[in-house]
Amino acid sequence: MDELERKQRIRRTTLIFVAVALAFYIGFIMMGVVRS
Amino acid sequence: MTATTVDTNAADHDDHDHGPTKGIGRWLFSTNHKDIGTMYLIFSLLMFFIGGSMAMVIRSELAVPGLQFVHPEFFNSMTTMHALIMVFGAVMPAFVGLANWMIPLMIGAPDMALPRMNNWSFWILPIAFGILLSTLLMPGGAPAGGWTMYPPLVLQTGDAFPFLIFSVHLMGLSSIMGAINVIVTIINMRAPDMTLLKMPMFVWTWLITAYLLIAVMPVLAGAVTMLLTDQFFGTSFFLAAGGGDPVMFQHIFWFFGHPEVYIMILPAFGVVSEIIPTFARKKLFGHDSMVYAASCIAFLSFIVWAHHMFTVGMPLTGQLFFMFATMLIAVPTGVKIFNWIATMWRGSMTFETPMLFSLAFVFLFTIGGFSGLMLAIQPADVQYHDTYFVVAHFHYVLVPGSVFAIMAGAYYWLPKWTGHMYNEKIGKLHFWTSTIFVNLTFFPMHFLGLAGMPRRIPDYSTQFTDFNTIASVGAIGFGLSQLIFVWVLLTAKKGETATDRVWEGSHGLEWTVPSPAPWHTFTTPPKARIANESFE
Repeated sequence: MDELERKQRIRRTTLIFVAVALAFYIGFIMMGVVRS
Repeated sequence: MTATTVDTNAADHDDHDHGPTKGIGRWLFSTNHKDIGTMYLIFSLLMFFIGGSMAMVIRSELAVPGLQFVHPEFFNSMTTMHALIMVFGAVMPAFVGLANWMIPLMIGAPDMALPRMNNWSFWILPIAFGILLSTLLMPGGAPAGGWTMYPPLVLQTGDAFPFLIFSVHLMGLSSIMGAINVIVTIINMRAPDMTLLKMPMFVWTWLITAYLLIAVMPVLAGAVTMLLTDQFFGTSFFLAAGGGDPVMFQHIFWFFGHPEVYIMILPAFGVVSEIIPTFARKKLFGHDSMVYAASCIAFLSFIVWAHHMFTVGMPLTGQLFFMFATMLIAVPTGVKIFNWIATMWRGSMTFETPMLFSLAFVFLFTIGGFSGLMLAIQPADVQYHDTYFVVAHFHYVLVPGSVFAIMAGAYYWLPKWTGHMYNEKIGKLHFWTSTIFVNLTFFPMHFLGLAGMPRRIPDYSTQFTDFNTIASVGAIGFGLSQLIFVWVLLTAKKGETATDRVWEGSHGLEWTVPSPAPWHTFTTPPKARIANESFE
């Protein structure tokens, strides 16, 4: 794995987990909206 | 397959090394995993003493019946702030500090994958806790509704309320950023030969912990965001008068809260899994089963949350599900305890301070585990709920559990960090005083709880006096014992020079770099090979 490829993989993994965290945050607030 | 060693000394790669910048800038703008790890560890120690001093206020007030020193409102602030500071400011940052220092060294990476974000993750924390601590000086006092922040009680908080919410958001943000960094580092930065199942247990447990963090910290953030909007923006998420449901907050909070317990204990499992093989001079028994057990615990942690709220009145099927799911956790936990004991079985054991703390961890954490199993039994929990039995349970898990593992890790890796051996006699003194006093503090709380003493009260009936006095003496003794650890740290560079390997039985990439570890390590990936050959 060269340096460029490593950087791309790091960026990709970071974005995936940022998206997961945001999904949990928004998802649970939406659950609250639906329930209340 | 617990670890790897390198054939070449990592210091050979450091010929183009540049040292740290001088002055405060080194720490403010640091992107170096070792510097940031050091800052996390110092910060957590500071928070440990601030949270600990609040525990001293609590135990002083409870030493004898009647109101002695503080007003009940302030007492409630102390219990709330003590918990928030110990959970988010002491235990979690200590493990993040250990992760920052050790994960890159253990997997042969030059640094964390996202070093600038690493800097932000740390520096958000002092801001968050500065805000939280500032609430002590605000009209209405610091938050006093418990660390669980249940509405509608928490909505009675004075001016401190929005600051509490903001600081919890910041703590969550810091944790999420740290967790992303750990995952991205482990997935992308391992030495070429290090497959996932060859990773050391500390790295494995942290990888699982980081997944938990990313899943649940946003949930806590969502919950407190809804509290904020209920208070200031006219929503009724949790307000019954507006059609909301206060019990829903408890569900959401504990969906975060129970995995949070494992966030604080899984890295402790990892630390102990590194130390016991070293001082038993054997490889870790059942490395792969330890990985599967930790993963299993992490999965189960998501489906047991309602055992914290058995008394809210849920359907019988719900009670049964959460009771049995909780009991299931004992199985993978039992696998871990068995494997640690099997690692020690017929090993050439020695009892240096890290090993002593690890052994105490195994024994005392198990006590906390068993009382947890008792609490999982729904009909019994109705009796135990909100009593000192619960306080005894979670303090056994968190103090001789998580905190002892942090101490064990600190003693274990201190020579690698400083380049010098710490004073073993003083270390053992720290261990024995801590162990005696921690039991003196928390064991009597089991009896208090079984006798019916409720938690979170500043005064109590006179029949509870004896055990409370014993607990208070123990707490002050435990607090003073921690000053011995500060002495160990202050004299850490005065001991004899440490070798690269430090401990006779140690193995893994972190022991192949010089002691103290150079500012830059593994700037080119190490050639790794499976290391447990030395045990075969």
